[in-house]
This record gives sequence, structure tokens and C-alpha cells, in this order.
Amino acid sequence: MENRPAIVAVGRTKFGEHYGKEPEKLIEEAWLAASNECNIERKHLQACYMSDCFLPITNKLGLEEGFLSELTELHVPMEITRSFSAALMTACHAIQAGIYDTVLVGGIEKMSDRWDKIRDDLMLLDDPWSYYAGGTPESNHELMMRAYIQKHGIKGEELEQLKIALAQVSVKNHANAIKNKYAQFQRKISVDQVINARKYKPLGLYDFAPMSDGATTLVLTSETVANKMTNRPVFVLACGSATDYLNYSARADLSRFYAAELAMKAASQTAKVAPSELQLLELNDQSTMMEMVTLEDIGVCRPGTAWKSIYQSYKNNQLAYDVEGKQVYVNTNGGLKADGNPLGATGGAQIYEIYRQLRGEAEERQVKLPALPKYGAVVEFEGFGTKAYVSILGEKKQ
Amino acid sequence: MSSEPIERRVSYLGDRLKASRCQCCGKEYFEIRDYCSNCGRRSYGKMESIDLFYDKGILELATYINEPTNKFAKLGSFVHGIVSFHGGQIRVPARITDQLICGGKNLDLASLEGREVIPRFRRRYSVGKSDIIPTISLAFTLADEYYPYQEYKVIQPTKDYELPGIVGYGMYSSRFRFKEEAWEHAVPFTDEDSVTAAVEAGKLALIHSGLDSALIGKVYAGSESNPYAVKPIAAKVAQVLKLGKEEGDVQGVDAVDTEFACKAASSMFKDACALVSYPRSGINYAMVIGADNSQAAPRGCPGGELDQFVGYGGAAFIFGKHDVIAEVESWYSCTSDTPDFWRRDGEPHPMHGGRFTGDPAYHKHVRKAASKLMEIQNLKSSDFSYFVPHQPNPTFPIRIAKDLGFKEEQFMPAIQMTKFGNTYSGASLVGLAAVLDIAKPDQRILVTSYGSGAGSDAYVLRTTSQILDKRSRQKVTVKFLADNPFVEYVDYTTFRRLKQGM
Repeated sequence: MENRPAIVAVGRTKFGEHYGKEPEKLIEEAWLAASNECNIERKHLQACYMSDCFLPITNKLGLEEGFLSELTELHVPMEITRSFSAALMTACHAIQAGIYDTVLVGGIEKMSDRWDKIRDDLMLLDDPWSYYAGGTPESNHELMMRAYIQKHGIKGEELEQLKIALAQVSVKNHANAIKNKYAQFQRKISVDQVINARKYKPLGLYDFAPMSDGATTLVLTSETVANKMTNRPVFVLACGSATDYLNYSARADLSRFYAAELAMKAASQTAKVAPSELQLLELNDQSTMMEMVTLEDIGVCRPGTAWKSIYQSYKNNQLAYDVEGKQVYVNTNGGLKADGNPLGATGGAQIYEIYRQLRGEAEERQVKLPALPKYGAVVEFEGFGTKAYVSILGEKKQ
Repeated sequence: MSSEPIERRVSYLGDRLKASRCQCCGKEYFEIRDYCSNCGRRSYGKMESIDLFYDKGILELATYINEPTNKFAKLGSFVHGIVSFHGGQIRVPARITDQLICGGKNLDLASLEGREVIPRFRRRYSVGKSDIIPTISLAFTLADEYYPYQEYKVIQPTKDYELPGIVGYGMYSSRFRFKEEAWEHAVPFTDEDSVTAAVEAGKLALIHSGLDSALIGKVYAGSESNPYAVKPIAAKVAQVLKLGKEEGDVQGVDAVDTEFACKAASSMFKDACALVSYPRSGINYAMVIGADNSQAAPRGCPGGELDQFVGYGGAAFIFGKHDVIAEVESWYSCTSDTPDFWRRDGEPHPMHGGRFTGDPAYHKHVRKAASKLMEIQNLKSSDFSYFVPHQPNPTFPIRIAKDLGFKEEQFMPAIQMTKFGNTYSGASLVGLAAVLDIAKPDQRILVTSYGSGAGSDAYVLRTTSQILDKRSRQKVTVKFLADNPFVEYVDYTTFRRLKQGM
């Protein structure tokens, strides 16, 4: 990647229910944090790339750019995307093209403002026929879990282990979130709690990420600017993306996310980092099933084996997954499950975490291999695997 | 608020489950496509329109939903999944209907996966009281349960008749029943109403007749529980069953709703006969449907006396002059302005005249119509193999049948209200269907309907030899529905909740 874009500062709010705060308060808070970190003022920003998924619906804000302009008193170009990763990718393209050298990338969501109907609204991310057939934001996750079980012929004791493995995903994410002061949930949960909450369903309350409010930001600059500002910029080595059918039932393979595979292939090729080199991952665990399946789709685990690695970590009482003798750290911030999932801002929190980890600033959560990890990857989905984004961050590879 | 264009498009595709097939490579798509993405431009104009309405699919994946989205809240819990058709060529999201799931404890998803399912035409979800009622056929039932799969095979007619008559019929009633004393009432599932029953009955009549639906020139839908004050049931039936020749996205058929309390449908038998007999009508076949989600106030409320008799369901009859199974020999109708039962516009439940619904209303009119027709035709009760009375409760039809000199073996086969409840516009039609299910060739049947308000229609029918030829085409007979082992009995609270619908 020529003219490599670099992250020089990140900022975020706590995720959760911000009952008393308007959306602008949240984005302001996240921006101030990033601005303080790199000593950049609003006037230095040449463009803003913002993401939100539902502000037009939850808060009747249909032209978010104008709202941001008013808030910042900036008149620079601004664009809105649905996910933070999409905003980051667009910003990277602009910097690589040499159009700007300092831009703001941000994300915001205020899902709890329409608690009454947010689950119906979330179905906008699915095919309407699925909604018409009584589908819920959770149902496709459960159907994919059934498809995974069918495809890999998992039954009997193995099926029980798979169920425990999925519970372990949630238990591990909650354990990580205890060490993350911004996380929505900072409490330990047990495998039994996760399993009992499923009742008679394939997945239950503790298998799914919550509804969240929150905002995240980062300052993205060109390599030249970054080198002047910090001696430890985190480079965006690659952004890959791919798209799949909106209608999940019409996809060729119902047991996996094809778009994730394609996005990782593209990113991995550009960054010249193989999936096997990745030991630090932020995956989009909208559900525990999604974290498990994604591990396979991005080529970290072989098909049909991710649950075994996860189950092994449960047996060994470890937070990292053991993948063919190698430790793989997934969702050290608590993931969407425990850190929170304010859609448009979620990817920002994932990148925030990788940024902190790569710079050795993750405090109690710090991953050591034993050295600091060199690379980290963020996988983000829009919808149920309809759009997949993979961003690989790390040090400059010569 | 409803979006009228979206409702039109979604029901146009979804009620019939329209799909496309590429004539170049054979690839199939759900919904209508103008070209195939395999073949690109060269497939343009070569996409064949197909639909899955009469198909059966496989439930590939299933999950259980106990916290539905807002519009599905009234369904409580249900199974949702993915259904594939044509060996996996087409896959669609699906809701399994006709299942009361409480807690999901005994639900084994793995045992549901791989089972055959058939699409059912149902309400899609709840909407506001003034909105367009959304419908869809992405509701499915298990093919080996209450409602079996039946192939719809078009068969060319072979025999012409001088008199018009019934060429096919079908009865539909729901899986759920409420039982009290010696009788049962059919209870609609939450997503059913008089419109869905009319479509289901029509579908069964088409299957039984083996008639190409494009040949039907007129459809009459009689009901007193149309969920709309203005918007015809018949138009939905015509569109979903593709009655008349398809011209673009409209059907070349005349469709109209009729209303005269419980005789709204039976009244149209003669109109249908006259229409197919009139040489210049250009119409060879006409369909008459009587279907109701019979309304009654809850017990203890004004009008609540009816609650112990209400049923759900209906029947459809196709009339024509080819391959007739029962010729219509003659008829007589009478009418008087007798206010024995009524429902004012905007009121959810009807009221009735208590003891005066008997002698001065039901008995007077039915006796008149039946005896007058026998007198005109110079026939005695003993000339009939079967008598089909209108049946609002278990006592009236028996009393009138005996008064008219009929014996139990003549009228008891027709008494079906004890199994399905009073299906209002469908009541005498269901009785007739039950008799046609068992009648032999060359037997006379006297049918009398009654509509409050008030009037009665009487018909003399005579079966033909073809009644036996067609019998094997219909698995879903009245007896099949009545004695079905998959019938589920519900308590009174559930009965009222289900009846309330979406």
C-alpha cells in the first residue's frame, strides 16, 4: 500500500445506555478524547468520515453531515457510511490518493433512544422477506448455527462441547471486559449462565451482543504527517471488503460468511500479512456463533475446527484460543458482547483496542506474545454478513 | 400507516410465491427477475415466470422464536426457518404456522429439519386498525400433519352436460378446535381470517375439479366477516388463485363479494349456473365461496349467546357445464324483511333477536323454500337421498328436517356444525360438501340455506357418475378435516385469543 495512512489518536465513550445524552454529546466526548491525545484541533481536519446505522431512524437525523457541521463549525467535506470500517476504508482511500493528509473518522449510534422498536428497525439490515416470515435480528444467527452443526455433522458429545464452546466465547468476552473501563458490561459470567439463558433455543440472551449507545473516533493522517506527530503511528496496512446477498437464505452456503473470506483475502494480500500471522483479532461477535464461524472464514482456523480451539480454551481455563499450538487473542476489549455494540461506532471500538494493544497501552488487557503483537486485524460486518470489512493494522512492513 | 404500493408488490409476489426460471440455464430465483445472473444479457426476455403456490418444500433449517419483533407479538412463539424448493434451487425464509408453542420445551428443532412443508396463504403480521391487511404465503405447515400436500393437476374435461352443475368443490377449516358438550367449534389460528379461508377453500376446489384456474370467469365471495368494510375478498381470491386469464398483472375475471348474512354464498349458486348457461356470457366456469370467521361477542356480553356456536371455515364450489358431478335441477328462494340477526357498521360483533331467531325467522323461511321447491318440482322428501339444511346450531336443522319429513339417514350426514361450529356463510355449503363427499351417482340432494334478515335458498341437485371419478383427487374431505388426528383442542381463553387474530 502506497502512501500508507496512519492512526495517530483514538477516542471513545463508554458504551451502554446513555439515557440523558443526546447523540452530539457522545460524538463530542469521543472527539475530545482523540483530539487531546494527538493535540489536533478541529481546524486541522480536512474532511470527516462518519458512520451511523440508525440515527435517521432512532433520532430523526437524516442529514448527519449538516448536524456535524453545526456541531463543529466546520465546512469541510463530510461523508456518512453505515459502519466505522467503511468510513475508515473511504478515509484511507482519500489519503492514499493524496487528497487529504489529516481527517477525522468517527462513528455514533444511539440505539436505546428507540428501545420500543429497535429490534424491528434492525430488520432493515436483513432481507424484507425474512422480516415478513417472522425473522428477528437473532434468528439468522441461530439458523447459521443449525447449518454449521448440519454441515460438520456435529452430534452427541461433540454437540454438547460445541454448545459449551459458544458459551465460552461469551464468558471470555465478559472476562476481558472487566478490564475495560469503557465496556458496557463489567461483570463475570459463567458457562452455565450462558447455557441456561438459551432455554430451548439454539442461542440465548448471553450469546448475543446488546443494544448500545456510544461514539468512537480516530484521527487518520498520511504517513508524512504521522511521522511528525508521533514516533509510534499505527498504520492501516490494508482495508478489504466484500459483499454478499442481503437474502441470507439465497446464499450458496448457509453455514458461513463468504464475504468475510473474500474481505480477508483482499486485505491479507495488500498487507502481505497471512491470516496465520494474526494473533490479535477483533471479531464482530454480534453473536457467539458469529465469532466462532468468522475465525474459520478468515482463515485463522480450518473449517469445522474453531469450536474445538474454543472448547480447548475452556478446558484450559484460558482467555486466548489455542489454534494449532499458537495463542490467538480475540476480542480483548470484551467484544461486541461485553464491550457493547453501538452499530455505527462499534468498529471504532475494535480499532481503538487494536491501536492500544499494538502500542502497548492496553494496561491490564495487554497482550504479550511475549513481545507486543506486530499486527492486529479487525473484522466488521454490516448486517448478517452482507458486508464484510477487514482492516489490518500494524507496523510498517518493509 | 400502510404503503399501498409496497403492499401491492409484496402481496403480488408473496401471496403466490412467484419465482423465475432462466430458460437458458435453468437457474431459478425467488421473486420475478428480468434476467439471469448466470447468463446475463442473453437471458433477457427468456425468464419464465413460475410460482411455488402449489409446491411443497423442505424445511432445511429451523429455529424457535419466543421474542418476535413487534408486528409478530400476537403470535407469541413460533418456529422460523429456511425452506428450499426444487432440490435447493430456491430457498426462502419461512414461518411455520398452526403451532401453539408454549415455552418450547418439547420442541426438537433437529427433528423438524428435513421435513416437507407446504405454503399456506395467511396474514403476514399485525397492523393498525385502519391499515391495509398484509398477507403472505411464507407461512408453512408440515405436509404430514393437519393439511396434507395435494398436487394441482389440470385435467381436460371430457363430458358436456345440458344442465349446469358443480364441477368441483373444497372445504377448508382450521386445525384448532374448542370442544364443549357434544359439539366442537373450529377456531382460526392467529394469522387466519375469512379471506385466508376463502383462498384455501378455493384452492381445494381447484385441485378437486382439475380445472385450469384461467377458465374461471367469475368468482363470488360470500362472507359476513370480511375484515374490511370496503375491499373485496373476491379480488384477493382472484389474484392469489390466478382466476381468469392472466393479462400482465391483472386477472381476466369478474370478482364480487356478496352479503346476506349466512346465505351470501348459497344465493349465488343460481347466479353462477345462469351465468355459465348464458351463451353470450363467454364464461364457462364460475366459483362461489362462502367463508366466515364467525363473529360473536364473548360470553356474558350482549350478543354473547352466539359464542357457543361460532365456527371458522368455508367451502368453495365451481359451477360449469363440463365434467359435472352434480347437476343443479331447480331452485327457489324467498325473502322477507325480518330483523332476527344483524351487525351495524363499525360494530365488531352481531346482535340477534333471541327466541325470535327460530320460528318467525329460520324455520319459517327454510320451511317455505324447501316445501315450495318440492311442490314446484312435484317431489317428496322420500325422493331425496340427502337433505342439507342450514345449520346455525345443533337443534334448528334437525327440527326442520324432521318437520319436512326427512329421516335421520337423509339429513344427519349433512349436519357438520357439531364438528366445525356455525361457519355462517359457509354453514350450508360445508353440509353440502360433506354430502357430496359420500353421495353416489344419480342421487337427489335438497339444499336449503338460511340468511338472517331474512331469506332462504333451496336447490335440487342430482349427482352424476363423474362424482366418483373425481373423488380420488380430494384427500381433504369434510370427514378428513373433522376426524383429523392433528386437530388441536384449545381452552376458552385461547379460543377467544386466537379468534381475535392479528
